[in-house]
Amino acid sequence: METESYTNGGVAKEIGVANKQTIRWNDFVLRFLAFVVTLVAAIVLGVSKQNELVPVQLVPTLPPINVPASAKWSHMSAFVYFVIVNAIACAYAVISLVLSLANRGKAKGLSVTIILMDLIMMALLYSSVGAAAAVGLIGYKGNTHVRWNKVCDVFGKFCGQVATAIAISLVGSILFLLLVLFAMLSLHKNRCH
Amino acid sequence: MASEPEKVVPPVEAPVAEPAPPPSTTRPTDYFAVADVVLRLLVFASALVSVVVMSTSKETEMLPNPRPAKFTQSPALIYFVAALSVAGFFSLITTLGSLYSLIKPGCCAKIISHFIVIDVLLLGIVASATGAAGSVTYVGLKGNTYVGWGKVCTMYGKFCRYLGASIGVSLFASVMLVLLVLLSVYSLSKKIPK
Repeated sequence: METESYTNGGVAKEIGVANKQTIRWNDFVLRFLAFVVTLVAAIVLGVSKQNELVPVQLVPTLPPINVPASAKWSHMSAFVYFVIVNAIACAYAVISLVLSLANRGKAKGLSVTIILMDLIMMALLYSSVGAAAAVGLIGYKGNTHVRWNKVCDVFGKFCGQVATAIAISLVGSILFLLLVLFAMLSLHKNRCH
Repeated sequence: MASEPEKVVPPVEAPVAEPAPPPSTTRPTDYFAVADVVLRLLVFASALVSVVVMSTSKETEMLPNPRPAKFTQSPALIYFVAALSVAGFFSLITTLGSLYSLIKPGCCAKIISHFIVIDVLLLGIVASATGAAGSVTYVGLKGNTYVGWGKVCTMYGKFCRYLGASIGVSLFASVMLVLLVLLSVYSLSKKIPK
């Protein structure tokens, strides 16, 4: 690409180098943002906990007994999956940031591997958002057909924390999607010129 | 290259050289394009199978009142069917596009290069649908004692089997989509002049 630009003249060379520079900066900024966002999502769900006294009526004649109950993220396997996937995506964002800084378009195999791993991380993040949102919706509205009672009227603060974590992780997965799309765009531009 | 001088040789030797068939110099088989069409067809087929299996998964249990179990009773499963239908529709369009480009090579290379964006978006949608339906089915399978949600699959065995099969096939569809994007990235990166 350098040789072509030299023959085209000085202006074309500047444009070519500018393209490479801007797409590189896009990549690094997106990766750093993705690291921050997935870290925040994992932490918000990881520290979510709420203790409540739930009135339980054992026998109709006696008054209801207050039983202490707690809602934690580890009680639901979908939330465990969510925290684990966000932690993996956060670690991957750091590793790929370092790797792509060290390899600025030199080794093509490494670039293709990073794009593939970005794609897999994006798919995992989207699936974790879907899983946590589905379970959260059941907890919010209940499901009368299978007699699953709603949980969020008792544990309101916990449900709010779950909803926040899901929204933040959705932003993180969109960031990974943009990473993949920008990588495709730069590959396409490098091929056509 | 060695075969070409044989053709230029004067026709005295033609009867000897005739039984040899002319080499097919039309074009080598473009493995990338063929693999592209095959993968897209697999994505479309698995999306179709998932939607059909989940739509026909209805089971009625005769308790004192007959209670049916359908996929419309859970919003996550409705989202699954909708998302996979969209994925099937778009993968059908891209399959037809790549098939047309395989038959007439070089006709619409610009449009074909935009199909990769569709593939990446479809991967996100199919992955989220698989995750949502998978988590709901898992809760139905194992129950959850902390929130008092009972197991459903002990009563509705056929329903849960159909759900599990549909989710497995959609997982296969998402793997095929990853392979598709990997194929496109690889073929794009090969064409970069070094």
